[in-house]
Amino acid sequence: MSAQTTITAVAYLALSAHLEAAYPHEGAGLLLGKADRIDRAITSVLTLPNRWDDAEQYHRFLLTPQDMLAGEHEAARRGLDVIGIFHSHPDHPAEPSGFDRDWALPWYVYTISRVSDGRLDHTRAWRLRDDRTGYTEDTFSIIGQPQRTP
Amino acid sequence: MTTIRIPTPLRQYTAGQAEIAVAGTNVSTALDDLAGQYPGLRGHLYTEQGQLRGFVNIFLNDEDVRYLQGAATPIADTDRLVIVPSIAGGSDAPLVKVDHAALRVNQATIITLAVLGFVVNAPWLVALVAAVMTIGTLLQRPGFKPLYASVLKPLGWVKPDVIADNAEPHVFAQGLGAAFLWGATIALFAGAGVLGWALTWLVIALAALNLFAGFCAGCFVYYWLARLKAPGFLKTPPAGTFPGLRPRG
Repeated sequence: MSAQTTITAVAYLALSAHLEAAYPHEGAGLLLGKADRIDRAITSVLTLPNRWDDAEQYHRFLLTPQDMLAGEHEAARRGLDVIGIFHSHPDHPAEPSGFDRDWALPWYVYTISRVSDGRLDHTRAWRLRDDRTGYTEDTFSIIGQPQRTP
Repeated sequence: MTTIRIPTPLRQYTAGQAEIAVAGTNVSTALDDLAGQYPGLRGHLYTEQGQLRGFVNIFLNDEDVRYLQGAATPIADTDRLVIVPSIAGGSDAPLVKVDHAALRVNQATIITLAVLGFVVNAPWLVALVAAVMTIGTLLQRPGFKPLYASVLKPLGWVKPDVIADNAEPHVFAQGLGAAFLWGATIALFAGAGVLGWALTWLVIALAALNLFAGFCAGCFVYYWLARLKAPGFLKTPPAGTFPGLRPRG
């Protein structure tokens, strides 16, 4: 059975809004919540600006070490941990690319959302294997009802 | 001994410990000692070629060692190193994409302001449009893009229209339009009204051709220069597209 990643509906709304606003560029940010030995529970997100060069943001994102430090502080302030990273693949599959893998860390959960024509289509959750050869996919589910107008 | 703080995702390789005491006289030897103590870390810190991975950033007492002496930065027993990851990623999207909605907002704004300049006989408006287009060209984006990105798109009044295309010809086309408008501005302020407004109307007409018919005359010039192997003109039209014509989405 695969590991589970859950996200609260409120956090998922914030994630969606950030990624849709970033379209046609990639958007990104930090996933805050709690991790147990296997599963990850996202209760809040920290939206961050994409620091990659403008011209390449259609297929790249970057969060700097300063962003990560600030994220750790903010997570601590909220009594949470940074448990992963979210980002979008505009008009591309919600699957990790080779470039994603080169830059990935173990333990973190990486959610990738496909944004098509400016609307978030779906999200999948991934974790890097220990030997860095690939990913395993988590079961990803949203807790509660999203309060979203069509 | 010097200590190294381990980021949360890598603590599984240090038996859960956040701070590890290491031996070493500089950053490089300290990291080597760390990887020696906890071999599971090595593959995540270093590439197969032995280079530090792109996401590994080392801070010495809150300062990025890149801005000190890098891996050769000397360390003392009382120092504290912190490993801070940076995070990057992205899709396999191979082609550059251009948001044609941003281009159309740019063209519509250029047309509106230039026509207004003519109607109220305000050469300064022509100069303003020329300046915005020049700044846009230097920044390699549509000059009036903020109007689109910060106002019209968030309000939902204009929807993104992203298609595989080259950005450079559009930047060049804008630069060409800016050059014509600067010529117009000089003519207008020098009293050559007919020449000045003729140049202005040329830019209005070409922007309208692009806005309403999807033909970018400046892009056409760009692709011809590329075909003539002019230096700096490297892009070819997207497959199956006539030079200057809007690619099919």
